Amino acid sequence: MAGQASSAPLRLEELVWRGDRLAAPASPGRPTGFAALDAVLPGGGWPVGALTELLLPHAGVGELSLLLPLLTRIPAGRWGVCIAPPALPYAPALAGAGVPLGRLLVVRAESAAHARWACRQALDSRSCEAIILWLADADMAALRRLQLAAEESATPVILIRPETCAGQPSPAVLRLALAARPGGLQIRLLKRRGPLLAAPVDLDLPWGAPGARPDQPRASQDASTPSPSSVTALHALVRPRPARSGPAGLHAGTR
Amino acid sequence: MARGVAPGIRRASALALAPDLCLREREPALEGTALAEIADWAGAFTSTLSIDPPDTLLLELRASLRLFGGMENLCERLQQGLDALGFNARLAVAPTPLAARWLARLAPGSRIDTPCQLAAALDPLPFSVLADSPADIHDSLDLLAGIGLRQLAEVRRLPRSGLARRKGGAVLDLLDRAYGVRADPRPWHIPPERYQARLPLPVPSTQIDTLLFGLRRLLAGLSGWLDARQAGLEALSLVLEYERNQHHGEARIEIIPGSLSRDMARFQMLAREHLSRHVLPAAVDALRLEADAPRAIAPPRHDLFEGDDGRQGDPDLLLATLRARLGPRAVACLAPCPDHRPERAWRWHDPQVPEPSGTHAGEPQSQPRPLWLLPVPRPIAAPHPDRLLAGPERIESGWWDGEEVRRDYFVARRHDHSLVWIFQERQPPHGWFLHGHFG
Repeated sequence: MAGQASSAPLRLEELVWRGDRLAAPASPGRPTGFAALDAVLPGGGWPVGALTELLLPHAGVGELSLLLPLLTRIPAGRWGVCIAPPALPYAPALAGAGVPLGRLLVVRAESAAHARWACRQALDSRSCEAIILWLADADMAALRRLQLAAEESATPVILIRPETCAGQPSPAVLRLALAARPGGLQIRLLKRRGPLLAAPVDLDLPWGAPGARPDQPRASQDASTPSPSSVTALHALVRPRPARSGPAGLHAGTR
Repeated sequence: MARGVAPGIRRASALALAPDLCLREREPALEGTALAEIADWAGAFTSTLSIDPPDTLLLELRASLRLFGGMENLCERLQQGLDALGFNARLAVAPTPLAARWLARLAPGSRIDTPCQLAAALDPLPFSVLADSPADIHDSLDLLAGIGLRQLAEVRRLPRSGLARRKGGAVLDLLDRAYGVRADPRPWHIPPERYQARLPLPVPSTQIDTLLFGLRRLLAGLSGWLDARQAGLEALSLVLEYERNQHHGEARIEIIPGSLSRDMARFQMLAREHLSRHVLPAAVDALRLEADAPRAIAPPRHDLFEGDDGRQGDPDLLLATLRARLGPRAVACLAPCPDHRPERAWRWHDPQVPEPSGTHAGEPQSQPRPLWLLPVPRPIAAPHPDRLLAGPERIESGWWDGEEVRRDYFVARRHDHSLVWIFQERQPPHGWFLHGHFG
């Protein structure tokens, strides 16, 4: 009896998600390979069975470096799929980073509709470890269909879109805006299942060649990993841009 | 039929009864082809079968009864399969081939299991069934009719020696074979090495759904042929024959399932993708299915507990599906290639061809290489020296094949702090180009 009474609040804690804490998804995410980023993502990594949106100012800010740890973990007998990349993923650099190129399918699609079709096929086949889809224009209905297809599978779907799409509504459970910074990548979390994170996350990206990354700041700076509760005070200082970046704020805690 | 048109009436009478009747000439060659097609399909049920022209197929089923769960189940599956193929058939089972044939003609649905029931089943048949055989026995049959006989039983009661003397030897021979007194060996049908089936569409069509419906019938036949050989296919050709007067000839679609397969649903799905991409220049008159080089395949495993967890998908199927819709060249893997020139240091690689080992080991690069490469270097303005972070790395190569490269490569920083890979031509006019992103 006493045991039940003590466990009941605990179970209640598990069942009810409070808006000021990170949601705990049913299945843990795939580790991103960057501890600072894992710490602020619900599930501790890329969400599986859901859409993740990466918003870029232009191709080449560091999105492939960010995804390399995901791509290096493709096991034999499964695929990693890159659909409609805007340029050529360069094989020597990928091989040097340890990506199993024989398990990485590159799909060139003539149109966005073909790209979305290929993505749905990859999700339906249940034989993919990760799907990366470059999609410039897509309406809400198309994205919603992708999200539904993703929910049926246990595959992380990374959707890479231009930064201008940040203002559009999206069914993705996680939306990250990427920007380059000296030595790596700056990530703003526009939307996640948890409280709004005002401070951006800075990551140091690995460098494939010997020596340090040439633009690495000389003074050793620790990547600042603000804990979700402590960031609100820093808000105005850290982020000179308008804090409410439209839909990101609106969607942050809806699910 | 409702207006009184019945088998056996004359053409003029039929047209008088139903003026809009559509008459077709009988084509024995087509009937023979159809019979052979059914025989190929029926190989799934027994390996010992024989075509009995013009219209009968004989299957020896005793050995297959247990596998298919008894005579009734087997007959039901035969009937369902024939419906799927689009044929009407009458089945009869009897211990001897001739008796089975006669019963299928005159008493379809008979199931005579034991020889002792055979005589009782055959005796009441009219002796005119004897005419249903290649032997020339019409004189004898006229004789028998002349002495007032009607049933096989009455023919059997005649004294054998007397009948034999009056040119009735052929009749006795038929009776002995039908009643199982004498052996009746038949030539076994051997399914062809190369499968070919053709389905003329009732109406020329441009509708993909119509074509897929016809294809399902063709695939049902192919399924039997593959089952009989316990084999699977690595490729299948679907030929679309266009209408004659349109001068488009025919189009051939190669369906490649990705791995050895005899899963007809898979072929059907891939055909749908191919057809949806295919532009039909004219209405399709007929479909043809061609397959050769079947290879032995293990039969599908049936799980004891039917525990079909679809967790692990089929990687080959995904590849085949994507290629069917997007084209074979649109889906590929990358592979590094030993060349110093950046645009030649990679190549497309077919994921189904095993990689040559060695070159792709994950050794770290001695020099920085970008993750993105622009297909064509883009000319840029000369960068400020402060922005060049690393380099130069000189690449001079390829003077022997006419695509000479003489460049100094640098890692440079853009305004927004992203890193790019740029080079300066070594020869005049020493232009600067953007060649990649360290994304």
